[in-house]
Amino acid sequence: MGVKSIETRHHEERDAFFAGLRRLSRRSFVKLAGISAGAALARGVVWPHGFQLVEVAGADVGGAEPGGKGRPSFTFAYISDTHLYPRKLNDRFVRAILKAVDDVNSLDPQPDFVFFGGDLAQLGQTDELDLGNEILKTIKAPVKMMVGEHDWFFDMGEHWRGLFGPPQYSFDHKGVHFVTIMSVQEKDFWTARGMTPMQRMLTVAGLDNGLQSRFEVGEEGRRWLEDDLKKVDPKTPVVVFSHSPLYKYYRAWNFWTEDADEVQAILKRFDTVTVIHGHTHQLLTNHIGNISFHGMLSTAWPWPYAPEGLPKLTVQMNRADPFNQFDGCGDGTFGVSEGGLVDALYNLWDRNPVTVRASYVTSNGAKDAPPATKLASY
Amino acid sequence: MSRTSKVLLVSLPLLVLGGVTIARSGSQTPQHQLPESRDGNVVVGLCDGKTTAEIPGVKPGETPTREQAQAVSDTLMAEWRRKNPDAHWDDPSVKLAQAETGGAPGGAATGSEAPSGAAQPPPPHAPDAAAPETQEGHTYGAFTDRDQQIWQAATDRFVAEGKRIFHSADLLGGTIGVSCDMCHPDAANTHPETYPKFQVQFGRVALLRDMINWCIENPVRGKPLHDDDDRLKALEAYIIASRKGVPLDYGKH
Amino acid sequence: MTRGRSGSPMLLGATVLAVAALALVRAASAAAADSPAPPAKLPLGVSPVLYEISVPAGSEPTSDKAKLGEKLFNDKRLSLDGTVACATCHLPDKGFVDHKPQAVGIKQQRGQRNSPTVLNAMFNATQFWDGRAPSLEEQAKLPILNPIEMGQKSPDDVVAKLRGLPEYTEQFQKVFGHDLTYDDVAAAIAAFERTQYSASSPFDRFIHGDERAIDASARRGWSLFNGKGRCNNCHAFSIVNPNFTDQKFHNIGIAAHKTDFISLARKASNVVRGGDLKQIDELAIETDFSELGRFLVTKHVNDIGGFKTPTLRNIAVTGPYMHDGSLTTLWDVMDHYNKGGVQNPYLDGGMQRLGLTEPEIDDMVAFLASLTDERYAAFAKQEMERQRGQKDRRPERDTAAAMGKKGNFGDLAPNPDLKDPAKIGVLVRGF
Repeated sequence: MGVKSIETRHHEERDAFFAGLRRLSRRSFVKLAGISAGAALARGVVWPHGFQLVEVAGADVGGAEPGGKGRPSFTFAYISDTHLYPRKLNDRFVRAILKAVDDVNSLDPQPDFVFFGGDLAQLGQTDELDLGNEILKTIKAPVKMMVGEHDWFFDMGEHWRGLFGPPQYSFDHKGVHFVTIMSVQEKDFWTARGMTPMQRMLTVAGLDNGLQSRFEVGEEGRRWLEDDLKKVDPKTPVVVFSHSPLYKYYRAWNFWTEDADEVQAILKRFDTVTVIHGHTHQLLTNHIGNISFHGMLSTAWPWPYAPEGLPKLTVQMNRADPFNQFDGCGDGTFGVSEGGLVDALYNLWDRNPVTVRASYVTSNGAKDAPPATKLASY
Repeated sequence: MSRTSKVLLVSLPLLVLGGVTIARSGSQTPQHQLPESRDGNVVVGLCDGKTTAEIPGVKPGETPTREQAQAVSDTLMAEWRRKNPDAHWDDPSVKLAQAETGGAPGGAATGSEAPSGAAQPPPPHAPDAAAPETQEGHTYGAFTDRDQQIWQAATDRFVAEGKRIFHSADLLGGTIGVSCDMCHPDAANTHPETYPKFQVQFGRVALLRDMINWCIENPVRGKPLHDDDDRLKALEAYIIASRKGVPLDYGKH
Repeated sequence: MTRGRSGSPMLLGATVLAVAALALVRAASAAAADSPAPPAKLPLGVSPVLYEISVPAGSEPTSDKAKLGEKLFNDKRLSLDGTVACATCHLPDKGFVDHKPQAVGIKQQRGQRNSPTVLNAMFNATQFWDGRAPSLEEQAKLPILNPIEMGQKSPDDVVAKLRGLPEYTEQFQKVFGHDLTYDDVAAAIAAFERTQYSASSPFDRFIHGDERAIDASARRGWSLFNGKGRCNNCHAFSIVNPNFTDQKFHNIGIAAHKTDFISLARKASNVVRGGDLKQIDELAIETDFSELGRFLVTKHVNDIGGFKTPTLRNIAVTGPYMHDGSLTTLWDVMDHYNKGGVQNPYLDGGMQRLGLTEPEIDDMVAFLASLTDERYAAFAKQEMERQRGQKDRRPERDTAAAMGKKGNFGDLAPNPDLKDPAKIGVLVRGF
């Protein structure tokens, strides 16, 4: 047993990196960056990875046809809903985000960018956000950030904006217009109750307490969106990043956007619109009018499917096994075709990956259905 | 004039007079305070000293119609019966039916005199059949509204405590900030109705509380709770309560 | 954790169940022409329910068939050059294994995999470490034809050789009623293997009510097995399913000691012909692809490096351990799990560091040793002493990782309160 496999060496380096996270100071971190995953990769060590086998298994992404006959015009990967606590309290979620970072860093070819879907921290604490930021810095590809409610409601986004800039922005990439909106605004429920910031945050953090307001983009956000989209031609494919689903799935759990109809109306004039959202921690697919919706997986834990309101198009992921912290969690890639159609590859950890193709969504489920679940929610 | 109408005509003035009389008489006897009617209608008080009802459209001094009188009498009686569910009060409507068919006061016992097409009057003890006597002189099941209120409150409180623990990593004894509601919002996906069942996580048949303890030890990273621990029982209560109405389906996966 | 308060009601229940199940089994075999098949009395610890599930109607072993099978099992002439029998790698006296890390076949050729025991193999849902053979019959056919193991070139060769041996011709005629075929050979060997159920261990007596059957250390080990050790998820035990295995396939990182999975899996995907048992058998025994385990059979990404959970019965006398025999003692096995296995991209998510202390590890080993059939009691004592003698050599041990001082291989629950055993489910009984 004297020879160490590539995996063992990789993990030893990962351990050293992780040990460095204990002493989280900017200076020590910069030193560590040298032995982070990204740097190691640059030295020519190839990380073996599950993602990559997807090609072998014949599940291509963003192609014109299933079975890998078409290649995507470009791909981007995502990591979402990491819900970090300070490491001393909980290193399980840190282990998970590191696993996701490894996943995206070992993609070959590398994605054009990596998108972060929101809820980086669990309770919006400065040290949680800083921890997340340091870890995300080890991603090789450029990273685009989106804020979630868990990041925002402790200090109303102050630290987040300091680290990552304004919560809404847009950019164009290879002919597609990407726009990130802040869709987890809430009407003030805390002042009348005399809540402290922490109490407010804990309320927002609880999915089922029913105390917090329903998510919304809000009037200001909608005006910003309208403004941004003014200059975009209706034929340009649009991808909207939103933390909340931008439709109405289940109100009680805030799987919901109160002004979803208004936002969808703003998007109505475009030929091809895809909404990619976080927050729901499950495989979720929907199609309303001209818009396709894809939910992102969480790295931290899976949510069960809501008792009602599940979009018909969604082919559920199997129920999660609590013995395995990674089951029901994961990350993924999106493949974007020439015409701006988006295929979603769910890299479910410890399971075979699942691809939800644009053709499945736009045909309203008539073709290319993803594999069925064995154990549905009930 | 039918018997009922006589009864009414006699009782109604009595009711009214009774009410008025009592209102005017001395303060030694308990007073039934009749509330003022907003529209100036006649207010009728019941002999229990508490229940009142208005006759809409009838002002003091006016005579109500038979229908109006019947209506207010029914209202008062219904209200009284609602307040006294255990009272053994005959239902007059059956007697009404009996009277209307024109049978003898006791009701026809044999069918020999009735023509084939006519409806048979109900047998003499019909009133009991319609408003059945309930068994008395027992203890179990002899509970009142008040009892039920207390019991419900106690149960709800137990369930509420379970809900509180369910949503708090600290109260669960968890050490990593994970609480049950993170994977089970509103206790979704707990399926208490499927226990006992073979639980694959530990390779044998388990009850709900075994799984609760397993979850506390594994995803939640706390110490398993003792069988007698109130917290374990409260958690069970909350989880079971969340699936009220779902049929038992033990063994289902 | 299950908390059975007293043995009696559950024992009664288990007995009733056992009797009922046995009655069923008996009824099923009433039609058998030969001597009645299901044994009149299964030893303590063998599950009649599992017996009924595992022994399909019509293939209950008759004593003639089993005797013929035993003869074949021990016959070196089944191999190409007459040097290797089934029993060469599956020594009946030694727990039906050869105690080598990897099996050695004809011409001293070494295979890739460790020989699993025949004891209780009849209760496996599939055979081999990767489950490539769906039955005992299918399993028996493959090593005889494998170039590294017994080397015969084809079933016809085997049949021809055996038909040339008069003692077999007569016996096969008697048992099967026709000239021997390769299928018959496999059926006879399988029949013999179906008589090799094994239980009757101190643990079985303990679980059926005798508190004193195992010592305090082993009892603590049993409670750790169901708690902190997280063993019972894959090495599941219940009275109905008593062989300590879920019969599923898990990557626990053993293969990661050696291998670059990704390029191997890529290559394998192009090479492996689904459903071609013979080809998979050769790849598994002869080549590097062996490390891919279950992936060779299913081609599922999630099965890369996954191997079947083996039984823990008789584990003290069936070392060395794991699919490649790379772990020499039970302490090495505990060290492997204690640190969370060996990290690799396909590591089963249930693998986590366990934080077991040395005394706890000793307790768990004591428990494992208590799973030995009493017929091997002396051999087990010998083996355990030998293993204990190697305790200072612990190549797998990584205490820092196990205790969480380095790396991030999982989180731990706080230690339960040991002063009150009821609180940690020590009283797990048989259900």
